[in-house]
Amino acid sequence: MYGVKPRNHRRDALSLSQVPILIILLVYFAIIAYPLFWILMSSLKTTEDISVNIWALPKVPQWHNYTDAWRFGISGYFINSIIVTVSTIFAVLVIASLGAYGLSRFKVSWLKYVLIFVMGGMMLNPQVCLIPLYKLLTALKLRNTYWALIIPYTTFRLPLNILLIRTFFLSIPKEIEESAKLDGCTNLQTYARIFVPMSTPIMITGAILTAYYAWNEFMFAIIFIDSNKYRTIPAGLMAFRDALQINWGPLIAGMVIASLPLVLFFLFAQKQFIRGMTAGSVKG
Amino acid sequence: MSKRVVLLISGLLLVTSLMSAQQVTLRFFHRWPQEPRKSYYDALVAEFEKQNPDIKIVMDSVVNDSYKEKIRVLVSSDDIPDVFCSWSDSFAYNLVKSGRIKPLNDMLAKDKAFADSFIQSQIKSFTFDGKIYGLPQTMDGKVFIYNREIFNKAGITKLPSNYDELIELFEALQKKGYKTPILEGLQDPWTISHYLGSMFQLYLPASVTQKDYAEATGAFTDAGYKVVLERFKQIVKYMGPNATSMTHTDVRNLFAAGKLPVMYVQLAEFGLIRQSNPNLKYGYFGFPPFKDGKGEVGYIEGAPEGFMMSSTCKNPAAAEKFLKFIFSLQNAQKFVKDIGAPVAIKGAVTKENSFPELLDAVEILNEAKGMVPWFDNAVNIKVADAFMRGCQALATNDKTIDQVMADVQTAAKIVASEAKKK
Amino acid sequence: MTKRQLRTTFEPVLFVLPSVLLLGVFMYYPLVQNFVYSFFRFSAFSSSKVFIGFQNYTHLLKDDIVITALRNNLRYAIVSVIFQVCFGLVLAAILEDRAFRRVSPLFRTMFFIPVTISISVICLLFGFIYRPMDGLLNQFLSLIGLDVLTRPWLGSAKTAIWATIAVSQWQSIGYVMMLFIVAIQKIPEELYEAAEIDGATKIRRFFAITLPQVKEMFFVTTLITVTGSVMVFNEPYILTQGGGPGTSSITIAVHMYQSGFFKDMMGYASTLAVVIFLISIILGILQLAVFKSGED
Repeated sequence: MYGVKPRNHRRDALSLSQVPILIILLVYFAIIAYPLFWILMSSLKTTEDISVNIWALPKVPQWHNYTDAWRFGISGYFINSIIVTVSTIFAVLVIASLGAYGLSRFKVSWLKYVLIFVMGGMMLNPQVCLIPLYKLLTALKLRNTYWALIIPYTTFRLPLNILLIRTFFLSIPKEIEESAKLDGCTNLQTYARIFVPMSTPIMITGAILTAYYAWNEFMFAIIFIDSNKYRTIPAGLMAFRDALQINWGPLIAGMVIASLPLVLFFLFAQKQFIRGMTAGSVKG
Repeated sequence: MSKRVVLLISGLLLVTSLMSAQQVTLRFFHRWPQEPRKSYYDALVAEFEKQNPDIKIVMDSVVNDSYKEKIRVLVSSDDIPDVFCSWSDSFAYNLVKSGRIKPLNDMLAKDKAFADSFIQSQIKSFTFDGKIYGLPQTMDGKVFIYNREIFNKAGITKLPSNYDELIELFEALQKKGYKTPILEGLQDPWTISHYLGSMFQLYLPASVTQKDYAEATGAFTDAGYKVVLERFKQIVKYMGPNATSMTHTDVRNLFAAGKLPVMYVQLAEFGLIRQSNPNLKYGYFGFPPFKDGKGEVGYIEGAPEGFMMSSTCKNPAAAEKFLKFIFSLQNAQKFVKDIGAPVAIKGAVTKENSFPELLDAVEILNEAKGMVPWFDNAVNIKVADAFMRGCQALATNDKTIDQVMADVQTAAKIVASEAKKK
Repeated sequence: MTKRQLRTTFEPVLFVLPSVLLLGVFMYYPLVQNFVYSFFRFSAFSSSKVFIGFQNYTHLLKDDIVITALRNNLRYAIVSVIFQVCFGLVLAAILEDRAFRRVSPLFRTMFFIPVTISISVICLLFGFIYRPMDGLLNQFLSLIGLDVLTRPWLGSAKTAIWATIAVSQWQSIGYVMMLFIVAIQKIPEELYEAAEIDGATKIRRFFAITLPQVKEMFFVTTLITVTGSVMVFNEPYILTQGGGPGTSSITIAVHMYQSGFFKDMMGYASTLAVVIFLISIILGILQLAVFKSGED
């Protein structure tokens, strides 16, 4: 797992041969950092300044770009994104941990087919289900509600989370479970009182993975939601761009607002964040 | 008992009676989440709710292309909004076919003054089988506009009266140092369809377009289409290499900033140009006819847009009230003042609330012999898409005219076979 | 059956039921449904469907856009493997080298930030970068005297696809790099120390130790990026208005979206979804095989 553990190295002086590499690193650093800096800088400029003096710092910081962006609709998208993301995380963790418990603590033969059923879901590309899901959600009258995002997001995040949490549950010693049984705990009680509290780290990992997905998902968000009232940030930004047309200041400020939660979370909780983000590929 | 107590009690009673009063909810859906129209409709709804405390309006809006898709979905479901905006002609007709759009003939017959307040020619675009399914709000048409200052500097005095002169005009401007005498935001596919619509109408005989635009009989095999695409390509040549990476809005800003000699715009955009640069002096001319063209001259491409009512509306009385409010002369005049687009209500555009170019725009529409519907509304979207995407590829020299026409013909075949099986 | 037996039989059912229901109704049922849909012609805004047999499939074979789209997906895949996997690995190796130990946290953090930003924000940002006249890229090129290189990046059929591919690279190199950093940190320090005693150069050590040790991660990241390349939707949808100019930057997912929701050919869109399904199944099986081999 990722760790910032300091390795026990002797300090090498920067030798001459490393200079070209350092230059490459710095160039790449600039390629990444400058556009990010440009967004921050431009979010405080007037539209004309953004277009004409693209390299210049804002003459007078236009803080009202942020309040304008918030007022023109970002606030609604932001709240929708929070509602959808939090509900999805909650649903995924509860359902996945229940499923993981079922798949790791019982010795029943048919459960291995359930496991295959779940693992198959890992491979499925959500786009394949787009058209039928659209029809299904319409038929269930769920399209254009929060559920139209929460349900598909939860479903498509389930397999990964079940497998992650299951791996963790499998590592919990049998004795702990057995002593709980001796104390008269039912399975549900064992799950709720022992397994769930013990698995906080893996739950956080799952929560981060799910949050990242739900906060940024785009395709379902533009197709399953018609109304401005329920749009999440990624889709909302598109509507925001169309609505503002040439009013770039607030648009760029809106882009900053949209990015801030995850970037800040990453900067302040790098370790957990990276553990979460890499778990998706390494599988525990 | 003191007076104050009495007041308090009666006050409380009033509040509770107001709260318990039956509130009617109307759903209103339009396609202008962007300024300046957003504020206009926000204010309109607020004012209406103030005047009618028993009616609550739930308003929603999405932008242009999404609106086309959403409204068709909503009309086909039980989720149809009570009052909503719509384009006219075939777009409107497609909605009408659902059977969920309310004919407004009764409403108009009951209130003669209201019926007469519209510029009657504009209602035609919402009339199908003798029934009126929508009421026009804005009128629109497409014209070339030119920067007067640039034309003066370049010594251009004569406006083109036919297509060859249009090309000569571009040549002359280029010689004077204007590398891109005309520009269009070809990244927006619909801009292409506006060129094509005018050009097809002017070049092809009406019998050909009539047959091809109809879904069941469309084939697009007439050799004239190729000629028009060649000429479209010729115009694009003057737009320089950036046209396909710009949007229509980008280009309009360039024109408003006085940096572009000629542009093809909708009359409804005059207000937007004025907004970004009130001092710009510009004139206009229609798409000049082809010397070898067989279409009738004097038509203008464009169509009114307006509002419709659903036939499943639970409170038709409230919806009618709201419609009448939208089309009141007072609000129409406010619309002209706020947005600067021509409105289909008689007497809405006046010297006081508009500007010379807008008065001209109304004049253009009054003088036109008739209207040609927007091309992307006139034909099935699959055919329009093949033309629009194809012409983007023409502009980047990625496809030949023959290839584009082959794609169009394939699309037309699919459309025709579907239309026949219905 | 006793109560106790009943309980042991049904208890696991209760635990896995919510998962199975959700997956069944909202994932597997639509998947099956999609195959059924691919034999019909229907519209997004009506409930009637017309059975047309294999017509959608014959149309598929004649559809040039499918070839353009798949070619673009392939371009995405190749470029992504080169930049994200290969360059990402080199970056990770450099940043984990002790010579850069003191600066590496800063670089690592900065390189990872784009991963945390929503793709729609990034696409809007690159919209500004690629603007033909006042865009950052062309302005920068003129600034350093390379006017000859300025061009309408998104407006030319030759560059539009590469410009959209570049956006994905900008965003995702940091992610793959981080995966490699995690993998490299698991390599036992002793291996490097032994090599150092033998006098192996850094480049030699990279090929002799780092590369073999992260072999599994190399496969994993390759599969992740290739799978991602099949799914590319957002960049062409936002940046080139659905794969323009013409269809030059279209991908298979965008083609599916436009067929279904823009041209209203929902049945044909389902057929395109079947193509996407087949490709991802092949990649998925490959992934499973690799994980199996990794477990041994």
